[in-house]
Amino acid sequence: MSYAFVRSGLVAARSALAVLIAGAGLGLSGASVHAADVIKFGAPLPLTGALSPEAVKAKQGFEVWMDMVNKAGGIKVGDRKMKVEVVFVDYQSSTPKAVQAAESLITQEKVDFLFSPHGSGAAKAASNVSEKYKVPTVAATASSTQVFDQKPKYLFGTYTPNETLLGPLFPLVKAKLPTLKKVALYTRNDLFPLSLAQAIENNIKESGLEVVFNEKFAINTLDHSSALSQLKGAQPDWIFVTGYINDNLLIRKQMIDQRLQAPVVTMITGPSFPEFVKAAGVAGSENITGAAWWDAAVRYKSDDVFGSTEGYLRAFKEKFGSTPDYGSASYTVAAVALQMAIERAGSIDREKVRDALAKLNVNTFFGPIHFNEMGQADSYSPPIFQLQNGKTVVLYPPSVKQGELHLGVK
Amino acid sequence: MIFYQVLVNGVVLGSLYACIAVGFSLVWGVLNIINLMHGSFIVLGAYLALLAYSSLGLAPWWTVAVAAVLFFGVGYLIQRFLINRVVAAPVMLSLTLTFGLDLIIQNAMIYFFKADYRALNLNPALGSVALGTVVVPVDRLIATIFALLLTFALYVVLRKSRIGRAIVAVRVDQDAARLLGVDIRSIYAIAFGIGTAMAASAGTLLALTFPIAPVVSYAFLGKAFVVCVLGGLGSVPGAVLGGLLLGLVESFGSYAIGPEFAVMLSFGLLIAFLIARPQGILGRRGFE
Repeated sequence: MSYAFVRSGLVAARSALAVLIAGAGLGLSGASVHAADVIKFGAPLPLTGALSPEAVKAKQGFEVWMDMVNKAGGIKVGDRKMKVEVVFVDYQSSTPKAVQAAESLITQEKVDFLFSPHGSGAAKAASNVSEKYKVPTVAATASSTQVFDQKPKYLFGTYTPNETLLGPLFPLVKAKLPTLKKVALYTRNDLFPLSLAQAIENNIKESGLEVVFNEKFAINTLDHSSALSQLKGAQPDWIFVTGYINDNLLIRKQMIDQRLQAPVVTMITGPSFPEFVKAAGVAGSENITGAAWWDAAVRYKSDDVFGSTEGYLRAFKEKFGSTPDYGSASYTVAAVALQMAIERAGSIDREKVRDALAKLNVNTFFGPIHFNEMGQADSYSPPIFQLQNGKTVVLYPPSVKQGELHLGVK
Repeated sequence: MIFYQVLVNGVVLGSLYACIAVGFSLVWGVLNIINLMHGSFIVLGAYLALLAYSSLGLAPWWTVAVAAVLFFGVGYLIQRFLINRVVAAPVMLSLTLTFGLDLIIQNAMIYFFKADYRALNLNPALGSVALGTVVVPVDRLIATIFALLLTFALYVVLRKSRIGRAIVAVRVDQDAARLLGVDIRSIYAIAFGIGTAMAASAGTLLALTFPIAPVVSYAFLGKAFVVCVLGGLGSVPGAVLGGLLLGLVESFGSYAIGPEFAVMLSFGLLIAFLIARPQGILGRRGFE
């Protein structure tokens, strides 16, 4: 155990150093290769500030793709192969700076294509820049339909809408628990958790269930005991908790403390990360259900550079020594989608690549990718999973299903 | 009865808050330094507990003593060699200094421990005890008892020992204390060391209760602020009362008007006290 502790510290130190070195080398990177043979992609990332843990994952997602493509000689453009380079710019977790970063990538760094900054809000803000300069842009982590509701011409998102995330879980639970009636909803009062809770409320209404507890908690809440005492009194069959991993861990711990049990407990987003099981323990995480746009447990055959989900996992493990979570994979698939569009266009002409993105219909390690007329992915069902015995078991979609839903969270 | 459950929740939470705040209150009260590193020292204590348990199998209640001694030294040195240089300057300067030092500690923690959330899960788990329908988690109970013991120990030290009396003397009248031969710089360093030791000890106990990550420190710091203002600066019993008051208000507030407003309520209380009773419940100069 102590070894693992020290080792994770070393890994952290090493990756921090890597970020520093990469940052310092920014101006020089790619200088050794002749510019005409390289396709440049711009990636504004929140490398420092509150979102920096996400950016570390995003960067790994890009790097594993970049390595794989360059090892294979590059992207096939018509009858020649072109190497790829992703230019990273830090926007310090500030949305206005993300917009500036996107613009400077186009005007100063002269990138050919762009990726959106992190999350729905920043992606929407920066999409104006893509429209202005007519640069095809792929958003890796924009799930709100509002990002796409003005039908941007050059923006494409690889996440399906929020509503698709948990909808399919309802019939699964109903089949296992015919007496299902009472649902409790406990939500972090924050942008993404709230919009997700809104989607869940719609799902609950459609299923004709009864909401017996519906409360929000403030960001930075250190104690949930009174809210959970109240929730316990409502005796729900199904408890939904939305929030981030820290909230989910604290709430799970306090549920156990209060001996709060229910047939089904669903948490978003904590259980999507390997750290959740590590911190909550096998017993503490048993039978918790969750969902994310991707999970390392899914298995797809693909026509992309990785060949399959297993191929992606292998490449990632070789490079970083760990299993990727959806934070990294989301960025990899954004790059993969752009790559496949360039290959289909047979050119790096921005208009041709945009048209190829709009028509894209391909199989990737992440799942099939196709965009609707607004530019948002509509081609796959995000995996719903359950933590069983410390492992992630996919329950849905049927094509990648690994096990049955188990009832009872103690 | 849910009323009793909410009451017990509030008392237990309040004791944890007292534990978080007492060292902060001492440093603010005696040195007139708002130590923005306080939250980070708590988190460092929690990491120490995590390390001790994962590598040596030592439960956090054994690590408390190690944390106290180790971090007394850390605090003593920081005060002696860094903060003492600006201690006579306006409070803004020392505030800025501790803010800068905190940034260094924060980034060092992210560098060495990563930004991941971790938890200390005892094996076997401690579980909870039930009195009728009222459930109390054992880990929080242990943290509560230790928090009260530590706070009581600090109270005794300040009241009975020579060093304690010297700290109080410096707080009450610095010039008179100097005239009587008290080494002010050394007393400052000792007081800061005690404050740091209290923070780290609290952290080892809180490791059982809260997920641990570098960023958690700000949440602890915020609570310490509120407790100090409620209880009165520099008063040990005041920190306990302030902590209990805050715990109960949050617990009943969350129950009555919803958890969404619990955090708002604690800062609302802070503003109300600043307007109506700025010296806090037990605030006065010095420790008597």
